[in-house]
Amino acid sequence: MMEIKYPDVLLDSLENGHMIIDDKFIVSYWNRWLAINTQISKEEIIGRKLDEFYPNINYKVLHRKIKTALLINTPSFYDTNSNVKFIPMNRNKVTTSSLMLMQQQVTISPYIACENKVMVSIYDISELFEAKISLKKEIEKVNKLNDKLEADQEIIDKNIMMMRTSFDGVIIDVSTFFCQFFEFKKDFILGKNISTFKQDGGFSTTYKELWETIINKKCWSGELKLKTYKGEEKWVQSRITPILDSDGEVLEFSAVYHDITNEKLLEELYITDPLTKLYNRAHFDEVVNFIVKHQRKADTDFVLVITDIDHFKSINDTYGHQVGDEALISVANTLKDSLREDDLIARWGGEEFVIMLKNVTLDEAKIIIEKVRASVEKNKINDTISVTASFGITKYILGEDIKKTFKRVDDALYEAKKSGRNRAILK
Amino acid sequence: MKILIVDDSKIGRMSVIKSLKIVKPDAELFQAANGLEAVEIFKEEKPHVVFLDLTMPVMDGYEALKHIMSIDKEAQVIVVSADIQSEAKLRVLVAGAKNMYPKPINDEKMLQIFEQDLLL
Amino acid sequence: MEVLNLEFNEDQIDALREFMNVSIGAATASLANLLDAFGTMHIPKIEICDSSELSQKIESTINLESMYYATKQLFTGKFGGECMFIISEESARNLGKHLYKATTPSRDDISDAVIELTNILTSTIVSRLTQELDTQVQFFVPSSQFIDAHSIVNSEDVADYSKIIIISTILDFKDQKINGNIYILTKDEAIKSLKVLIDKKIEEIYG
Repeated sequence: MMEIKYPDVLLDSLENGHMIIDDKFIVSYWNRWLAINTQISKEEIIGRKLDEFYPNINYKVLHRKIKTALLINTPSFYDTNSNVKFIPMNRNKVTTSSLMLMQQQVTISPYIACENKVMVSIYDISELFEAKISLKKEIEKVNKLNDKLEADQEIIDKNIMMMRTSFDGVIIDVSTFFCQFFEFKKDFILGKNISTFKQDGGFSTTYKELWETIINKKCWSGELKLKTYKGEEKWVQSRITPILDSDGEVLEFSAVYHDITNEKLLEELYITDPLTKLYNRAHFDEVVNFIVKHQRKADTDFVLVITDIDHFKSINDTYGHQVGDEALISVANTLKDSLREDDLIARWGGEEFVIMLKNVTLDEAKIIIEKVRASVEKNKINDTISVTASFGITKYILGEDIKKTFKRVDDALYEAKKSGRNRAILK
Repeated sequence: MKILIVDDSKIGRMSVIKSLKIVKPDAELFQAANGLEAVEIFKEEKPHVVFLDLTMPVMDGYEALKHIMSIDKEAQVIVVSADIQSEAKLRVLVAGAKNMYPKPINDEKMLQIFEQDLLL
Repeated sequence: MEVLNLEFNEDQIDALREFMNVSIGAATASLANLLDAFGTMHIPKIEICDSSELSQKIESTINLESMYYATKQLFTGKFGGECMFIISEESARNLGKHLYKATTPSRDDISDAVIELTNILTSTIVSRLTQELDTQVQFFVPSSQFIDAHSIVNSEDVADYSKIIIISTILDFKDQKINGNIYILTKDEAIKSLKVLIDKKIEEIYG
């Protein structure tokens, strides 16, 4: 093996303390680092006993450790976590920390066994120690926060309806409350695409708007009608938020729902005609007034239709009120079936209905209403009783007072009745 | 010559046997895996030399040694053990063993044993 | 892809047990020296299990209500790993009392005594083992933790290791009965090396 020249120089260049002592604690080597950090020069200490300079060291312990190292022929150590210091030293690095005393790792290595000599090495591990302490503090902080977070999460999970889906609608997670409310088992719902639960019928525009909003990375709020596992209809106020990844692309969607079924039912009762299940006049009025007031281009393009069942009084007198009611229901259903989802139909009076056909020309309306008239005529009550209706049609003129529109359409209806009934007149 | 090798470990026995095959190639070898077997074989075969381990199940080396010495006070027992405490050596010597060696024994040691420790 | 056979056959286990025996013998002698007492050697039980079983194995040997000193010492080399030693608070206190000649040794004293013990055990056992196997090893500072039975094994601590060699032994020193289980945690590479070294030794002996 290559012999190392000037081993002293080598040891002096190391940034740790190294000394050689024997089992009587006589120092035979003391490197530069030690000289600097203890302010004891090697000339002073070599040949002398360590206890002359450091009487407070527990020499029984040191002796035992020296003996052990020599005996097992591998290093022995001082406990790094102990508060008992071997040779107390102050930290020599400039530091803002409050740790002034050097944390040391002391290793005792067998050197020359037959002379009972060992090398005692001292390593400054103060920075490591500080890092450990601050890490411990941070971990404690994080643990506390995590505990609180877990507690909060539980509350949320049990009381709020929440859902998380992937960017393409696959359900990743649902809260316990959601499952309870919709009567789904969590396993059943996870992994399925949300489109399988979508309620079609009447709300395709809502879903279209919803999808367009969130696909543009914006939040959407609105009312949705959903069905529970058992088929019960529920209304929920929904807020759907897109979650973006670090590149700004949609990663997931997060949705929160609030049950508004009761409010909605109440609302519907309020605006619904109980017999025909059509909207009632109050609602129609509200909608029309709103449109007229705000004069939005999209809304003001409509055709107003009024229809009246022909000879309704005599149907009632001849066949009884029950049949009369059936006639009303039948006509209402015919109207619903013949017209589009978006068209507004309402029961106007005893035997009168009003319709708002959206975004059609007068000619188009004429064709539509003609079809409706034909359907009404075709649909007999109890397969025997024939029912017809007369229709008045007019187009709303932009900016017009709605009373004028109604007058016009009333006149049209009057003319329809006058000229023989079971027909539609345009004005 | 009959030689009895006692050790609960097979490789422990083989280690001794390996050296024996070199130093005493003509010897008849017997093996025992615990103290009890050792005593029984000793009674039957009356081997000239016994190599005895200390830590064994059923009956350990110390007990086996006592039994063997009571059967034959001239018995030539060499203890080969993992236990290297000086007090252990003292105990077995007092009990009658001719010497004690730490494991493993090599050929030189084996030669030394036959030349210096055993009275044959 | 090479399928790692980390299982030991009977002959290999026998050889390993024998090497451990010799190592424990050396450790007992060193400890006897330290404690100034005679140590009665007991047959150590050797078991090799997967690192995932460590937690369970430890819990089956300890009293879950007590506190323990768990010390660890890292060693590196061809056969590298971590040596873990678990000693009950009571045993540790007795050890501290004995070494420090104090009726009520301080927490620091006890900790130091336990580290001393671990160092001797680890160094001696591993040195002796690696000596038998003709390979060298370097030891690092042992660390000691005073913890409850449930916190002894952190799943992260064992994640890197594949096999555990469990040496169950009673270190019996007159009035100091130190019940100890020594766990040697090894990685795949170390076990591979160990097997190679053991096989070499077996060939030498069996011829």
